[in-house]
Amino acid sequence: MQYITDIALIAVGAVLINNFVLYYFVGICSFIGVSRKIETALGMGLAVTFVSTIAAFLSWVITFFILAPGAPLTRWIAGFFIPEAEAARIDLTILCYIVYIFAIASSVQFVEMYVRKFFPSLYKSFGVFLPLIATNCAILFACLTIMNHMIGVDNPGEIWDLGKALALAFFGGIGFTVAIVIMAGIRSELEFCDIPKALQGASITLIVAGILAMAFMGFTGVDAGLRAALKKKPPPPLGILEKAGDSKRLAQESTTNETIRNPNPDKEPP
Amino acid sequence: MTNEVTALKRFTQGILPENPVYRQLLGLCPTLAVTNSLKGAVTMAGAVLFVLFCANVITSLIRNLLKPHLRIIVFTLTIATFVTLVDRFLAAYMYEMSKQLGPYIPLIIVNCIIICRCEVCASKQSVIPAACDAVGQSIGFGLALTSIAAVREILGTGMLFGIRILPSVWPDWVIMVLPPGAFFTLGLLLGIVNWINAGRQQTQGKQ
Amino acid sequence: MTAGEKRKTFLQESYLIQAWLVLLLASTFGGTLAAVQLKLGPLVAENKTRETVAQIPELIWGATSPDKPAAQKGEISIQNRLIKAGQGFYLVYEALENGKCAGWVVKSTGQGYADRIELLIGLDGKCEKITGLFILDQKETPGLGNKIIGAPWRSQFIGKDTRIPLTAVRKGTMAPDQIDAITGATISSGSVCRIINRTLQDLQKTLSETANAEEQKK
Repeated sequence: MQYITDIALIAVGAVLINNFVLYYFVGICSFIGVSRKIETALGMGLAVTFVSTIAAFLSWVITFFILAPGAPLTRWIAGFFIPEAEAARIDLTILCYIVYIFAIASSVQFVEMYVRKFFPSLYKSFGVFLPLIATNCAILFACLTIMNHMIGVDNPGEIWDLGKALALAFFGGIGFTVAIVIMAGIRSELEFCDIPKALQGASITLIVAGILAMAFMGFTGVDAGLRAALKKKPPPPLGILEKAGDSKRLAQESTTNETIRNPNPDKEPP
Repeated sequence: MTNEVTALKRFTQGILPENPVYRQLLGLCPTLAVTNSLKGAVTMAGAVLFVLFCANVITSLIRNLLKPHLRIIVFTLTIATFVTLVDRFLAAYMYEMSKQLGPYIPLIIVNCIIICRCEVCASKQSVIPAACDAVGQSIGFGLALTSIAAVREILGTGMLFGIRILPSVWPDWVIMVLPPGAFFTLGLLLGIVNWINAGRQQTQGKQ
Repeated sequence: MTAGEKRKTFLQESYLIQAWLVLLLASTFGGTLAAVQLKLGPLVAENKTRETVAQIPELIWGATSPDKPAAQKGEISIQNRLIKAGQGFYLVYEALENGKCAGWVVKSTGQGYADRIELLIGLDGKCEKITGLFILDQKETPGLGNKIIGAPWRSQFIGKDTRIPLTAVRKGTMAPDQIDAITGATISSGSVCRIINRTLQDLQKTLSETANAEEQKK
């Protein structure tokens, strides 16, 4: 149950709260370039999601088995040449970025071959955009986020396993799709508007993206509420009180479910 | 002789006429992400300068040796190596900055500016023009970053590089240092640049 | 074809030469990266630990406490350990002055308003009072939730009893377990309280028992 909660929180976080495009600014080049029509935008978004998931899978596997400090495969192979204690300390994280970019390039190649074989019309309509996905920051960003949750984490219980990594990559791509499709819809309406010549093109797209980012800022805190709602046992006591000793307005003021009313602040809560 | 003229031209083209952010619309991801403080913008510009210079020089040196098919792989390998170098260097000597810039330093690997310049310029010209091109483009990129960062930081916090510029009565427009502010600033500055350019083309057309 | 062009096509057509070139490049880059890792790796690790360890004296003995001269004269050594409690592991630093436990510093993370907040809580030797608080990492709203990193706000926590949960209050603190929340950033303030409460709930007994056991050993 805890695991499903974590995945749900990662999903909501990636799609709404920390949207890849509108909060982390990754994938802006394709966001501006491809968001003219809804069909192309949707296709691009789904392609990015697909490639992102495969690339995340490859990155996680390679990081876990080869690159992380004390990784099993490296330790086993190095164990043939150097003593076991030394082999356990081999740390190949310096190769992370190179490995990830090649994993992404391979995923794009794989997806390109797959689409060319099974969906030839789709392949033709994509044109040059499919190989360009390899330079999409969003995919590398997903891989880097996964790396940050696997390497350099103090608490061994917080290291991400494959499920969480794939969840982040997949829902990050979905968030990218959501943002790009909304932008495509808005831009198709903007075609009928009288935009000043200086602002046409990328300029107005960015301003609209800013307004969209403001709207998405409203989702902040949704995951805290979701986490509280999905928890089974009562959380540790916390109350945000208007005035010390005022408990009636607590129900209206509190924004998370994690508040337990404490009408007598002097008494120790249960 | 022609080589040197081209080198100088490459250098000056990169700063304003072919500015990577304002004219070519490349590398927008770090432009939006690191410009909420001027210090971060300058660090990012420096990092891109180093990576672009080294990548251009190496690509230019080996441009005749490799098959076209292998060229992309070698670009990518070169860029990734230098970005790893910069990342480790920042983590070792400027730890606070490295934490603030976070994942955006490794994202230089897929920065369109570098790939584009390698493809367009370095793989076709000798070392000196390629190097000048790298420096010119990086200066242009740095100019763009600092202009946006200056606007965002002054309006958002009233300070520049930690020094108070606006009087304390200024209500900090916090939105400017948040994501929406980045989009607005870049969009409006881009509009201003387009307008200035259109005006200049008009006067040139009239002459 | 000129000689230069002939050589160019020859180089490009020969697979063997291409393979060797790529191999040469790859090994050069690999060697550079290995050298960088050897030289800069320790520096980076040192930066990371220094970030936490540098805060420990201030967190336990305070910035301007009368005990500080004594602490400086004595030998301070810091040991760290991972303690399993509650939902996971906590990184706990034990500060020993002249071999005796002078205090604990616990590193804890939790959800803030925007993203995770990472903080260091300083506790006295018997784990009865909070002696300091330091925010390591936060991504709260600049100008609002950001104020949790300010020393005046954090100094409210010094001296609080570890056994009573803390609450963030909007207007005026009446009881010893209440903290003045930042105007416009009640959720950030409440989150810090919540993280401290959870950490102490998990660790208070373990740490005070460890301290008692060590004292009885002597």
